[in-house]
Amino acid sequence: MIRRKPSLAAAVVTATALTLTACGAGEAPATDLTSVSIMAPFLEAQPPSNDGAVQKKFEEFTGKDVNITWAPNASYEDKMNITLASSDIPHVMVVQGKSPGFVKNAEAGAFWDLTDKLKDYPNLKTTFPEVQNNASVNGKVYGVFRARGPMRAAVMFRQDWLDKLGLKAPETTEDLYNVAKAFTEQDPDGNGQDDTWGITIPKWGALGSNSPYDIIEEWYGTGNRWTEKEGKLVPSFETDEFLEANRFVKKMIDEKLINPDFATFDGTKWNEPFFNGKGGIIVDVDSRVSVLINLFKQANPNDFQNKVGFVGNLKGPDGKLHAHPTDGYSGFLAIPKTSVRTEADLKNVLEFLNTMNGKDVATLFNNGIEGVNFTVEDGKAAAIKPETPEGKAVATDIKSYAQLGTNITGNNFYPVKQASDYEQKVYDKRVEVMAEDLKSAVYNPAAAFVSPTYVAKGAQLDNIVADARIKYLAGQIDEQGLKDAIKLWDTSGGNKVKEEINKLWQDSK
Amino acid sequence: MSQLTDALASDIATGDGAASGKAKKPAKAPKTKRGKLSVHIAHYKWLYVLLLPGVIYFAVFRYAPMYGVSIAFKEYVPFLGVNGSPWVGFQHFQDFFSNPDFPRLLGNTLILAALNLLVAFPLTIILALLLNEVRLSILKRTVQTLVYIPHFLSWTIVASLSFLLFALDIGPLFQFINGVLGTDIDILSDPNWFRPLIVLQEIWKNTGWGTIIFLAALSTVDQDQYEAAIIDGAGRFRRVWHITLPGIRSTIIVMLILAIGQMLNTGFEQIYLMTNALNRSVADVFDTYVYFVGITQGAYSYSTAVGLFKSVVGIVLIFGTNWLAKRFNQSGLF
Repeated sequence: MIRRKPSLAAAVVTATALTLTACGAGEAPATDLTSVSIMAPFLEAQPPSNDGAVQKKFEEFTGKDVNITWAPNASYEDKMNITLASSDIPHVMVVQGKSPGFVKNAEAGAFWDLTDKLKDYPNLKTTFPEVQNNASVNGKVYGVFRARGPMRAAVMFRQDWLDKLGLKAPETTEDLYNVAKAFTEQDPDGNGQDDTWGITIPKWGALGSNSPYDIIEEWYGTGNRWTEKEGKLVPSFETDEFLEANRFVKKMIDEKLINPDFATFDGTKWNEPFFNGKGGIIVDVDSRVSVLINLFKQANPNDFQNKVGFVGNLKGPDGKLHAHPTDGYSGFLAIPKTSVRTEADLKNVLEFLNTMNGKDVATLFNNGIEGVNFTVEDGKAAAIKPETPEGKAVATDIKSYAQLGTNITGNNFYPVKQASDYEQKVYDKRVEVMAEDLKSAVYNPAAAFVSPTYVAKGAQLDNIVADARIKYLAGQIDEQGLKDAIKLWDTSGGNKVKEEINKLWQDSK
Repeated sequence: MSQLTDALASDIATGDGAASGKAKKPAKAPKTKRGKLSVHIAHYKWLYVLLLPGVIYFAVFRYAPMYGVSIAFKEYVPFLGVNGSPWVGFQHFQDFFSNPDFPRLLGNTLILAALNLLVAFPLTIILALLLNEVRLSILKRTVQTLVYIPHFLSWTIVASLSFLLFALDIGPLFQFINGVLGTDIDILSDPNWFRPLIVLQEIWKNTGWGTIIFLAALSTVDQDQYEAAIIDGAGRFRRVWHITLPGIRSTIIVMLILAIGQMLNTGFEQIYLMTNALNRSVADVFDTYVYFVGITQGAYSYSTAVGLFKSVVGIVLIFGTNWLAKRFNQSGLF
């Protein structure tokens, strides 16, 4: 019965107390930065080793001793907040987004303001100023943003099922419903059993997380997080289209076209039902297409083609295409003032980042080491087959090092040559489809704005609506309940957020 | 402050503070004759040396960090440090109590704590009594070991097991329960099932472990009394009721006081792992809330204020139940 578990508050308190003692003894670091420390997330099962070939090349290219602290992606946000409260702060920190913790620290002056500084460095002067603005805190640039393809939303489906049932690839949300219904009811795998559902959705309910819900809502015309209505910015979930889109999703859930455990289904297992022939459709980023193809290829190298089909964004019920883009970036590399104290030090660090964003390091991070894991064929990086142990190690490591790549002046590395003609064809089609959808992208008009109230309690506020959305879809509450939750968002502080965002928006015009 | 309650708990549960507690007593006596304190210390110097590690431990790891509690009254920003951050008084406490989340958090925490207290706590005593009645030594020891084992599994494993057993449509326990009840409930996401599930997990994991202290207490009950009772014709149930239970009464009360002091500590991992969007309305408790606003959002001051509130309530509960226990002529904790 007795659980002796120090509370988290106590842990926070201890951490801060330790900071205090450490700060007292702090001395100014040397101006000559021979070693640079970096904190970055890794998305693989293991972080890269500290004496791997990629690390050595990286140090060779930059002429610095580089210490990278890798933290798992899932808990990166926590780790970042705790690191900021500790005494051991790296020179460069990957910040994954404008989270409340980051904004609060930035506004208190914890990070260097780089707004006027980046233009002096050829590899840091972005060729995407709008994205840089989106990544800023009300116009103040606190980091070198990590550029990402702005258009990534796609619908992936079992091509073999589609062919078997004689259906066409979906173009509208209505087609999506029809295909999902056929996948559920017409026994697409032909085993004579009613054991398939149409779409698989994992537990991924937070607002604005590019979840399938967000994507479908945008197709319905809700806008992207914020949208302009009668000369004012309003949150997407306060539009009629939001209710309409969720009625559509709920209809599919009620008819069991979507996996019934969508509220608890783990996102890391998303590929499994698709691969195992349980669920036929996934709505996610287009890069999942190659992940899925690879799964089929591993299972049967002789018969993996035409298992996975995909299309880009779907037209909404109004017949128009409202494509769902990302903000164009995934966090940024920020420079804390606690570890980089003087302007001279800052220059050194920026020089370092400038080198890191050059062609050599970009190629290293994204392609690997030429002659070890890839060779250049017609301007493309082709993987060396069969893989040597060294090549394999490099190929694995760069998946993590790519997290340090910002590519803010475009991709300075070789495009990857796909393993087979079929895969190359699919890849080229992906690029083409995404480029086409980009023309219809509906961006978040409030991406650059940070409202103080939202920083203070935005996450709790958004939870109200996000949870209500899932509850509505699961049938725990009705549409009135969902509307009530949106009202609660307003009265618990949302009205203030709207006011502040609109003021920032007006001021920026 | 929560360290204080933890410290008390550790004194009782592990006995590591017992040495310091006993050693303090001789120090009190000579206080009336001030001048002789040094003489007294010199006389008992080895006792004081023995006391030292305990004092240092508590000073460094339990009391020094309490300085950081001051951030509950500040607008703490790590960059400015504890000293540099501005004071805001009781602002964070006001925000917390006026927050619409507060009644829900308090309700959820108290209900879960009460369920654990009413269901899991008596079960440990009952299990200890049952084990005590087993006369076959080897059987008793085997059963005892078997019921301890779940305690050593982490909550992550317990949660994973639950997900497997109760998985929608395919979990064996899902099929069993819905088969018996003739329903189609998703146990993992239905808010009505959240609390039973949490209590069940708690029972499965910790009941066996909780019996240890009661079994120890049971071994001290005077065996002659049983013989006398048997001669007087008392049955097995009568013996338990009139001899065994009164014999371990003081242990039960001490354990109860400690359990009540820990009431608001529902534990973080278990609840965090079992929470999802559909059951969050009943699952949010103080511990998960502190994590959510404190660690993931970086609101250190606010979450420290929440933690401090929890600890103060814990202290009040400990003193309150202790006072009550004494009022009813029971031996209290202190």
